[in-house]
Amino acid sequence: MILLFALVAGLLVGLGWARWRKIAYRAPELQQLWLIFIGFLPQLILIYLPDNRTLPSDRLAAASLLVSQILLLAFALIDSRVTGMAILICGVVLNMVVMTTNGGFMPVSPQTAGSLVQEDVLLELHPGDRIGPKDILLHPQDTRFEWLADRFLLPGWLPYQAAFSLGDVFIAFGVFWLFASSSNPEKIQNRGAQIC
Amino acid sequence: MKNTLALFVLSTRNINRQHIQLILVIVSLAMLVLGTGAPLEGGGVGIR
Repeated sequence: MILLFALVAGLLVGLGWARWRKIAYRAPELQQLWLIFIGFLPQLILIYLPDNRTLPSDRLAAASLLVSQILLLAFALIDSRVTGMAILICGVVLNMVVMTTNGGFMPVSPQTAGSLVQEDVLLELHPGDRIGPKDILLHPQDTRFEWLADRFLLPGWLPYQAAFSLGDVFIAFGVFWLFASSSNPEKIQNRGAQIC
Repeated sequence: MKNTLALFVLSTRNINRQHIQLILVIVSLAMLVLGTGAPLEGGGVGIR
């Protein structure tokens, strides 16, 4: 959800900027969009859709995550010339590094997780247990590339709470920039769809 | 009824190829960020 906020914010800024300058807003021109649908499919089937009774094994889920992320990275590399995509690619690579080296899932420390889940729920969990669709509970000393893990928290006064990684920050900023800069006429000459 | 139908037809005429393309890009990039990002969200944390 936190990443979708960045997308919507970028879109609103882009639309607002275009309207203020009385120019047309253009959707970013992207190639091979089908690769995103194919790349997201393994995650949709094995990560997001299953309920507690039909959860796939950790190994299968980790493998599907890796395959999915490779396909999504391939798409991003094909469209790397698009403004903002290079930043997004940095985030994807950072997340892939920390996830691949920690069993295929994003590590989160018990301390960070304690800010998001109730204490009694956390007590039932052990290091190595999955928490959330893509995360795994790990002590910082047992985490490779701990500085790339889900270690940042949103301000406590916000009603919505989430832990996120440095890679997530890059991804959020990349997608924000991608949509926000689409209204810049200098960068979109003869490219993209024009939205009046 | 006739007016409602006319209004609907008029509004659908305003949805052109570019709008559909923008929606497609938004949906695609939403899947891209959901697929590549890995934040842990509070409240809806599914425990295994």
